[in-house]
Amino acid sequence: MAESRIPDSNPFVEIATHLFLEDIAAKVGVSGLNNYLLSLSRNLANSMPKEEYGTWPEFLSALTTGQSILSTFEEVRPVTEHCMSTLRSPFERGWREYAKRVGAFAPVHREVAQYYNHKVRPTAVTSVHVVLHTFREAAAARVRVGDRVVRYEPVATTWVDGEVQLPEDAKLEPLLKRAGISRTKLGMLLRNHSDVWLIESA
Amino acid sequence: MIDIALASLIEDMIEKAGADGVVEFWQRVGDNLASRMGKEAYLGWTSFNVAVREGRTAFSIEGEVTPLTDMAVTDVDGDVVGYLYAMRQCCYVPTIFRTRFAVGRMSPADRAVTSEYNENVHNIAVCNFCVFHERFREEIAKNVSVSGNSLACYLLATRGWSGETKISPKNVAQVNINEDHVRALLRNYECVYALVMRGARIKGDR
Repeated sequence: MAESRIPDSNPFVEIATHLFLEDIAAKVGVSGLNNYLLSLSRNLANSMPKEEYGTWPEFLSALTTGQSILSTFEEVRPVTEHCMSTLRSPFERGWREYAKRVGAFAPVHREVAQYYNHKVRPTAVTSVHVVLHTFREAAAARVRVGDRVVRYEPVATTWVDGEVQLPEDAKLEPLLKRAGISRTKLGMLLRNHSDVWLIESA
Repeated sequence: MIDIALASLIEDMIEKAGADGVVEFWQRVGDNLASRMGKEAYLGWTSFNVAVREGRTAFSIEGEVTPLTDMAVTDVDGDVVGYLYAMRQCCYVPTIFRTRFAVGRMSPADRAVTSEYNENVHNIAVCNFCVFHERFREEIAKNVSVSGNSLACYLLATRGWSGETKISPKNVAQVNINEDHVRALLRNYECVYALVMRGARIKGDR
């Protein structure tokens, strides 16, 4: 598991980062913040080492044991060969501490997620999901299994408060088919998981 | 994750606004966060120090803070007008280690912002987070009152993850604490600051 290798952060740093993002939004607006989030997530992934695996089972093993860059920040549980789930959001502790010490999350975090859902892909509830989805996408592109690059796509996101963000039906069905799970199975997963996502060879 | 991504964000910000711009940004974030924390009042130093120990004050957002009740700051009449406080671990050290294991090494942006702050604002920072942190504490101190007096915060000493130490001669003199006492504290703590009643006439005040 990733968390056993990496010490927990001090949530104060996460709170400060959220305030940092709020300040950026006050200066450059929601679209500007969205650009910053995309850029920082790609930079983070690009600063991590590339990976290569001989077979898909070898890659899945690295994912579940926290050895892959894709499982650095979260505990990944495969549901099928291509469908992954994350039990707890890596942002949950920071959010809880923010709510406890500072108060309600500033509205801009949801506004930037709505902007992202409209412009990029409809799977973010709040600003941190823009970071998470963009990071996973850029990190997946740094992984090769056999001679093929890995491709990431989010299926569904649940936030700490229970809000679920799904693509519209027409886009969701083909995703579920590629992931190898049913709509009912997705609902079961979302009851106690923070994310369900798809990973496959490009 | 967002804590590790912060370094990438700062890299981006340096490209756009320079290291001095990031220092200004961080200080503004310190002001903003402090303004959202609300006011606090305590009957006296005992109740305040108990609240600090129990993690009930605005200062507790940083993590575990130890009131050093054997190190009081006194005024010209010998009355206690403040105390020293310390954190065993810098808030940013876990992020530095997390970055080491996730990415490989800390971004040079951290050092760029730290140096900018040390050269042009206050030579006390051991990481970029100190820039935000010092301002945040100064601002929340204004919102906390003890015996009806609001507080002032002086950052006295810091120790970075690599062992580098910084002591602020200006602030140490301000609270009339012997520099050797502060240096000794750095063996056990990574961040030492004083909270003093605003406007108090400190013994040995210059």
